[in-house]
Amino acid sequence: MKKIMIDPITRLEGHGKIAIFLNDDGGVANVYFQVPELRGFEKFSEGRPAEDMPQITQRICGVCPEAHHMASTKALDALFHVEPTSTAKKLRELLYSAFYVTDHTTHFYILAAPDFVMGPDAPPAERNILGVIAKVGLELGGAVIRTRHENHWVIQTIGGRPIHPCFGLPGGVSKAINEEERAKIEEIAKSSVEFGKLSLKVFDDVVLKNKEYLDMVLSDTFTHRTYSMGLVDENNKVNFYDGKVRVVDPEGKEFCKYAPRDYLEHVAEHVEPWTYLKFPYLKNVGWKGFVDGKDSGVYRCTPQSRLNAADGMATPLAQEEYEKMYSTLGGKPAHYTLATHWARLIELLYAAERMVELVRDPEITSPDIRTIPTATPDEGIGIVEAPRGTLTHHYITDERGIIKKCNLIVGTTNNHAAISMSIKKAAVDLIKPGKEITEGLLNRIEMAWRPYDLCLACATHSLPGQAPLEVTIYDAQGNELKKLSQGIS
Amino acid sequence: MKTLVLGTGNPILSDDGVGIKVAQEVGEKLNDPQITVAETSEAGLRLLDSIVGYDKVIIIDAIQTKKGKAGQIYRMKPEDFSYAKHLSSPHQINLVTALELGKMLNLMMPQKITIFTVEAKDITNFSEKCTPEVEQAIPEAVKMVLEELVG
Repeated sequence: MKKIMIDPITRLEGHGKIAIFLNDDGGVANVYFQVPELRGFEKFSEGRPAEDMPQITQRICGVCPEAHHMASTKALDALFHVEPTSTAKKLRELLYSAFYVTDHTTHFYILAAPDFVMGPDAPPAERNILGVIAKVGLELGGAVIRTRHENHWVIQTIGGRPIHPCFGLPGGVSKAINEEERAKIEEIAKSSVEFGKLSLKVFDDVVLKNKEYLDMVLSDTFTHRTYSMGLVDENNKVNFYDGKVRVVDPEGKEFCKYAPRDYLEHVAEHVEPWTYLKFPYLKNVGWKGFVDGKDSGVYRCTPQSRLNAADGMATPLAQEEYEKMYSTLGGKPAHYTLATHWARLIELLYAAERMVELVRDPEITSPDIRTIPTATPDEGIGIVEAPRGTLTHHYITDERGIIKKCNLIVGTTNNHAAISMSIKKAAVDLIKPGKEITEGLLNRIEMAWRPYDLCLACATHSLPGQAPLEVTIYDAQGNELKKLSQGIS
Repeated sequence: MKTLVLGTGNPILSDDGVGIKVAQEVGEKLNDPQITVAETSEAGLRLLDSIVGYDKVIIIDAIQTKKGKAGQIYRMKPEDFSYAKHLSSPHQINLVTALELGKMLNLMMPQKITIFTVEAKDITNFSEKCTPEVEQAIPEAVKMVLEELVG
């Protein structure tokens, strides 16, 4: 059996290996997506006061600390049986929306855009943000930097610290904002809405107006008909901070909708011998392997899945774009993995619009930011939508609030089965007997998982290197036939 | 000269946090309003955000090289950092690209960037402590950073 190794994946937090095994004919026999495991987080947490968890868990990952901080804070609300004040909830959601603006901006311009703006076959040295800005214009580059910078200021102002917020407490937050801060956030929110609109225009110009790209988006190579998961509000609209988890089947029909505390009744984890990462699946459908369809418990929670799982967006401009997307893609739900980039930009616009709504809320500057907990802690579960998928924190403590058990299901892990399936399908469709394996071809395989914005830093962590890409091809006897590499010194 | 000493890494992931520990110790020995000591777990564009506006930047990070010995310290320039851990987050962009981007967009970029890296042994187990080999290297790394600040 021949073996192709892509090691590690480029532009990805965490060190992953994709092993593609060829059969004797030169076609793809099997594909494995492997990541190393970080060990001992549960043990590390045991014996610590639960109130420390929002600070500790956000250190797991260098990419989405704000998501961990928020899921953890919500788990503490549940643990201490306390309802945060209305202002506290709004401040949390305002910070979280600013975080979404920065995170989605980064993903689109740094990771996704190079493939489309420069083209999937462009050499890696050009297929990056510098190439994108050189082609699209310095003005846009400035807008990317400015939007991120301003929203980091929002995160710092509300959260108390840049990058690692320290404001989440059981029952509320640690500080209020004043009118001067509010006014500045409102300006940033409004400019973020404009940036969201601009980004959708870039997508429209670069991808949708290019028939070759649109055909690729709609191609079977990048399609998987799975269940879709996402948090929704009381009107079944997309919400990142709060609500119930809703799952729709591959036809778009609601399969289940549950409160965070019931997650274990709906999600179970499958284990494979070849990887440390687990594969969450829908318990009430069952694990049927790495397959599509209604009978398979595989689900996805990506921006596209969140839009599939909801009935719409809660803000007007994002709703317009939502309708446009489904009308272009031929109806709802959509299962086109590459269209996830589009959905991500609609979420970016929604997050910015939501910032405007929240910052204009008369309660936002109220000093009533905390309900002091009085109940005895026991068990708490908190769920938010992290940019990379539904993020669950589950803590069990003794009566003093000391952690006895901690379980986390992080965003990327939810999509692990689907990521493996997407890579395999792309590899099977693109690597054919007798066809030369080029870097451009391998990049197309990478494009199959890039939409998941996978971040292995939670489940694992990055290992050294400037993301060199190495592909080794072995013959049926395991002898090395060919090696392709880039970025390896 | 406006100077930034930036420790990078994950303080709860064993040797991954060595850069932050070195920066903290450097900070305890300094009292100069021109020098800012900071820590970050970030890479790529967020790193760019951190260094814009400074004249001189010293970054301390963990590293894993193929033949390195745990605790070994290297003095590097941005061009040859390719195996430094956090400076090359593939989720975003590496430091060299971030610096190029800053120049392209006419941001106020530092004139001099020096990177000290410490060879890590364990970066997969959660712990607030470094391994003994790396722990022992911290005083020397602190000394090197202080000398760099004078030089």
